[in-house]
Formats: sequence, structure tokens, C-alpha cells
Amino acid sequence: MIHTLIVDDEPNARDDLEKKIGIDSEFNILGTCANAFEAIRYINSKRPDVVFLDIKMPKISGIEMLSMLDKDTMPRIVFVTAYGEYAIEAFENNAIDFLLKPVKRDRLDITLARLKENHQPQPIVTETFPTKLKFVPCFRGDRYYLINIKEIIHAFSSPTTGVHLVTGDGGQEFQTNLSLKVFDDNSQLKRCHRQHMINPDYIKYIEKLDNGLGRIYTYGNHTIPVSRNYMDNFPAIN
Amino acid sequence: MQNILFLEHIAPLLQHMLVFLGLAYLFTKTPVFTALASNSLTLPDKAVIYLVFSGFCILGTIFSEPSIQSNDAIANTRAIGAVLGGLLGGPVVGFLVGMTGGIHRIFSMSSIDDPINYIDTACAVATTLGGLFAGYVHYHLSRKSRIEALFSPRFVWLIAVAVELGHVLIILLFGTLSGEGMAAWNLEKEIALPMLIANPAGVALIMYMIREQKRSCDELSSNTTAWRIANRTAGIIYTRFNQESSRQIAEIIQHETRVGAVAITDRDRLLAFSGLGEDHHRPGSPISSRDTLQAIKDNKVLFADGINKTYQCQLESTCELGSALIIPLRDDANNEVIGTIKLYESRNKLFRNINRRLGENIAHLLSGRILAGRYELQRELRIQDQYQLLVAQINPHFLYNALTTIGHIVGKQPDRARDLLHYLSDYFRKNLEKSADMTTLGHELEHVNSYLQIEKARFEDRLQVQIDIPGHLLDQVIPVFTLQPIVENAIKHGTSELLGIGTIRISCIEHNDGFTLSVEDNAGLYVKSGANGIGLKIDERIKMRYGSEYGIDIKCEPEKRTKVSIHLPKNKERA
Repeated sequence: MIHTLIVDDEPNARDDLEKKIGIDSEFNILGTCANAFEAIRYINSKRPDVVFLDIKMPKISGIEMLSMLDKDTMPRIVFVTAYGEYAIEAFENNAIDFLLKPVKRDRLDITLARLKENHQPQPIVTETFPTKLKFVPCFRGDRYYLINIKEIIHAFSSPTTGVHLVTGDGGQEFQTNLSLKVFDDNSQLKRCHRQHMINPDYIKYIEKLDNGLGRIYTYGNHTIPVSRNYMDNFPAIN
Repeated sequence: MQNILFLEHIAPLLQHMLVFLGLAYLFTKTPVFTALASNSLTLPDKAVIYLVFSGFCILGTIFSEPSIQSNDAIANTRAIGAVLGGLLGGPVVGFLVGMTGGIHRIFSMSSIDDPINYIDTACAVATTLGGLFAGYVHYHLSRKSRIEALFSPRFVWLIAVAVELGHVLIILLFGTLSGEGMAAWNLEKEIALPMLIANPAGVALIMYMIREQKRSCDELSSNTTAWRIANRTAGIIYTRFNQESSRQIAEIIQHETRVGAVAITDRDRLLAFSGLGEDHHRPGSPISSRDTLQAIKDNKVLFADGINKTYQCQLESTCELGSALIIPLRDDANNEVIGTIKLYESRNKLFRNINRRLGENIAHLLSGRILAGRYELQRELRIQDQYQLLVAQINPHFLYNALTTIGHIVGKQPDRARDLLHYLSDYFRKNLEKSADMTTLGHELEHVNSYLQIEKARFEDRLQVQIDIPGHLLDQVIPVFTLQPIVENAIKHGTSELLGIGTIRISCIEHNDGFTLSVEDNAGLYVKSGANGIGLKIDERIKMRYGSEYGIDIKCEPEKRTKVSIHLPKNKERA
């Protein structure tokens, strides 16, 4: 069984694909999402094998969404779009499968056949798709936010509530579905602890403690622990 | 007997008059004559007038007809020279001409055999006073700035009659004083009537000819100047009636007409100013002169000539400008005023008559330029628009997405799918077929509705639409593609970027003379897109057609709502 997620902001397009893929009994449709915010959470929690991903979506496009996914748990992506110009680039790189809307039955069958052969994730070619994070999808309560990566001072993960972000804008705290690994790979935030990351632009000074530990003081008057394993990330205090 | 004497005199007098007419014609061909066109005569001008008309006086005496009763008294045309000299040259010239003619009269008709008698003196005095009187008339009219009345044949005829009657009275008076009242009376019975007929007629005819010559001379010079202005401004592209293009034109006009200053305004603002007072007449500032606003409102030429009506600058009390000619720039096709051109002269100069005609010529020329430019721009915009719309039409994403949606709906709701196909074909047909400029609000709303039906099917519950337009406004005529692209933008760049439910509200508010269509979305994502934005293009097109008080304004509360308001005039006729 291939666990499949469909992401599209248009309900009928979503249903259409769901119905067409559902005919093939090898595919198990786990669910559908209407935007990237929902999709990131869904992927991080349900770990689908394949995601049929629309490109043109509100706030975060399908392409931007890729840079927000953990490389280690990245599902295989099939773009579904009405915008042929993306497809040309992708076919040239032979990187990712593309379906053009309206999706034709026989073209979809080719994609499904390929997936049945191999649904391991393919490396995303970086020249085609920018992978640096510019904005981070966040939520607080039931509202969604897009936070500029430059405004983030501090990111930390909690075993119970997931990843939290503290911004320079009044030290507000948000939650995000992105893993710290994503920030490691795709942003300038630096790991200072297994559960903490810091934006180097906001470091006021670093205090060296006994037994190889340290403490970072930020311009926002936060203190953030530095563990022994990550001391090397901050050569200035060694 | 008397009748025969009278007839014997009149024919030769008329002959003399014709000779003067010929001479006066030659005079109008001299450069001095152009000076007569202006109010300000220089000393050499006056000297020439003196010489010419003194010559007329002397010739009048030389040609004179001896009286049958007295070989001293003669019917003559001397008065013609004196009156014309005074009218054209002013009191001093008139006096001198009259006196010269008078002195010549005394000495040419007297000798040792024939000493100076009362008739000689009376004639000399009468001619001098005649010239002086005519000169006073000139002075009076010029003070009242009614100098053009001088060139009215009827008026100068009356003056000449008055002078001639004065002549008669003076001879009778002098005759009575020297005890020869009866002889003087008999003499006048013989010559008064012929002179009263011939001389005023001569003066009137000569003045008529001078006026006609002057008119054609004015016209020629005004046409020449207008032609030079037309030529020099030919390279300036007046596609936009704004400060930049107007500045160059104002400079050229001022340079060519040599008036004190030239201003060009649109209906609200000063666009350009060139000449005296440039320091405080700043382009871009609102019109301050009440006369200008009046000229725009009444579509009338206003002339503050500096004497009966002075021009007072509202900006600066020390402004040197004292007279102004304000001429509306007209769009004759739409019968509206698009602006004004103003010619100013400083306080110490008066407008030459010529400038009024010239000003009107220039205004005519300029209006033509502006309208041609406007038409050109409108055409250009239309071509651009069409091109842009063409690009929008072949933008396939909307079509592909719509077909995906319909393709799915076919399976579950075939009737709805069929309706959607109709809407889709309606939408594309209206996009492709709109070659006319104007449509009705009702038709435009049908187009909008076709589009919205498709979008509603694509987004389903994520898109809510509310349309609230009074039925009686549906037959209002509006430019094509006024509302439809705005609604499309509200979805494409607005609600489709929302995670939650998008709301579009289309409404209409009626005013006295117009109405405002509004498209409001709850996304609040509007960003200025610069000159290529379709909103700006629609705005420009509306302003072009209806004037700057109409068009589009956009209010955006970020992340909350964007409201695009389209202001249009009421208009039920097809343009």
C-alpha cells in the first residue's frame, strides 16, 4: 500500500484527484489538505509516502513548502498544477513528476505506475527550487502566521508541544510544525543545544560556564543554554 | 442761382477728396502706418503724422476752388488733413497740423495787393481749432481705452461735421466782428454745404480705408505669429495636458508674442507660467484668479484691459502684471472647457488690439493640439488595453482550473456542470467579442457573473459573493472592462490568497450626477503594482473620458479589507 496525501486549495480539484487515484487499489489516500500549513502538519505527523501537491496555494506555494519539510522524512512529491511553465523546468531536471491540470487519466496512470515501481523520495534539485527559508509558517491558538526568518531570535523544541519560536518583535512566542532539523538545513539559525537554536544576529554575549557549558544572552534579554556538544558552533568563546 | 453755385463747388471738392484717398492709401503702405496699430506713438511716428497731414492741409488749400463772390474765400478740403492729423496724432499733432495749414492759408491767399482780411484769419483759426478738437477726441478716447472707436467711419464723420460747422461759425463770427457779416453770410451760403458734404465724407472714407488696412495688417501679423507658434510647437507631443508639456509651450508663446507673461491652466491648476511674476506663479498650484475660474465656468473670453478693469494678482500684491486676457481652451466636440491660456501685460503697458485676436488664435491652436493629443493617447490606451486583455484571455490557468473543476462536477452534478460550461463560454465570448468601447452596467455585470460562477465552483465555500446593485442603474453606460477586471483582481490577488473564507462584495451608491461602483474583499492584500496595473489603466481611461473628478480610488486596510471604488458619471447615451 502506498500512503498518499493530496494537497490543493480547490475542493473540486482535490476531490477529482482523490477519486481518480482511489481507483487504483495500491494507493491508500490518507487524507487531503487545503493549504501548506495543514499539509506540513499532516506530513510531519502521518508520514505519507507520496504527496500530490498543488503549486499555486494561498500564502505558501507548493514549491516554498518543500523547503519547510524535514529532508529525513521527505515524502515523494508529485506536483499537480495548471501552470505549465513550472513543468518544463522540472522535466528538464528530470527531478520531480508533474501533472498538468486538467489531469488526464492516461497521464495519471503513467505517474501511478512509476510510483508503484519506486516511491522513495527523490532529492530535490536546489537550482530549480530555492530551499532557503524566508518565511516560517506558525500558529498561535487557532490563527496562522507567516514569520520572517530574520525576526526569529530563538527556536526550541518541547517534548510535549513541539517547536516554539521567539521573535524579536516584543518577544512573542509562536508554535510551528517545522522541525529544528529544517532550520538546521535551510536557515541561518544555529544549533546551540539539542533542543535550542539561536539567530546569531541577536547574540549580545556568551557566558562560559564550568564543565564546558555556556549561556547565550540575547538582545531580547533571553538566556539560552549552550551544551557541550554544540560549543564548537561558537568559536569566539573557546 | 445759389443751387448752381453749390453744384459748381461740389464736384471739384469730391475730386480733391479722391486725391487724398489715394495719398492716404499710399501712406498706409509705409512702415509708419504699422505704428498706428498701437496705442503708443513715438515721437518720430508723430512727426510723420504731422508731415503727412500738414501736407494734406496745404494741398487742400492749393487745390481750393475760388469763390464766385470773393476771390479770397474758397471752398476747400483743408479740414480733412487737420481732422485726420488730430484724430491719429493727438492734440499736439492736431494743433500743429491745423496751425501749419492755417498759416499756409494766410500767406498763400494774401499778398501786398491783397492784405490779410477776416476770412484769412478765420480760416486759419478754424483749421487750427479743428485739428486741436480732433486731437482732443483722440486723447479722450485713449484715456478711456476706447481708441478703436477712432477707426469707426461714422464716428469720425460726426467729428468732421462738427469741425466743419465750427468753421462756418468762426467765419460768420469773424465776418460780423469786422463788420462784413452780410458778405460772410452770403459766402457761407455758397461754400458751406459743399464742404459739409465733401470733407466729412472724405474723412470717413479715408478712416474706413485706414481701418481696413490696419485690420488686414493685424490679421497678417497675428497669423504670422500664430503660424510661427504652430511651427515651433509642432514637435511637442501633447499627449498629456500636464505641466511638462505646457511649460515648453508657454515659453514659446511668450517668446513669440512678447507679452509680459503667459500662463496655461487646466480646469483646476496652473500648469505653466512664463514671464514676469514667475517667482510667485508656481506651476501646480490651484488657480487663484477669480476671473480665470469665471472664464472656465462661463466658457467665455475675459479681458481685464488694465484700465476699465484691472487685473490684480491674488498671490502677490507687488505683482507687476496689470492686465490679462483669459481665453478658455475648448473641447468643441464635448462642449466643455479643458483649461485656459492667459496672456498678461505689465501695469505700464496696455494690450495692443492685435493681441486679443492673436490670443484667440493661439487658444484655438492649443485646444486643437490638446484634443489631438488626448485622442492619440486614448487610442494608444485602447490599443494597450486590448493587448493587455488579449494577454489575459490567453492566460490559460483560469481555463485549466475551471475545466478541472467542471470535469469533476460532471460526474456528480451533470446539470450544474452544463450550466458552468455555459458560464465559461459566456465569459470567454464576452472577453473575445468586446470590440466596442462602451457597454451597459447590466452587460458588464453579466460578464462578472459568468466569471464569478466559475470561481465559486472552483473555491466552493471558500468564496462568498454578494452583489448589491439597484436595478434602475443597469442601463447606465460605462466603458467596457471597467468592473470585470477589478473583480478578477480582487479574487486573484485577494481572496484566493486567504486560508479562510474569502468575501467579495460588489455594490453601487448613486449620487446626484454620478454613481460609485465598489468591489470590496476581505483579504486586504492590495499592493501598488505601478503603471502596468490594470486598475491604473482603467482609472486613466475613465479620467480621459470623463475628467479628473471620476476614476478609481483604492482603500486598503492591510490583512482586513481592500475596497476599490469606481466613480462614474451618469450617462445613458451611447458614446
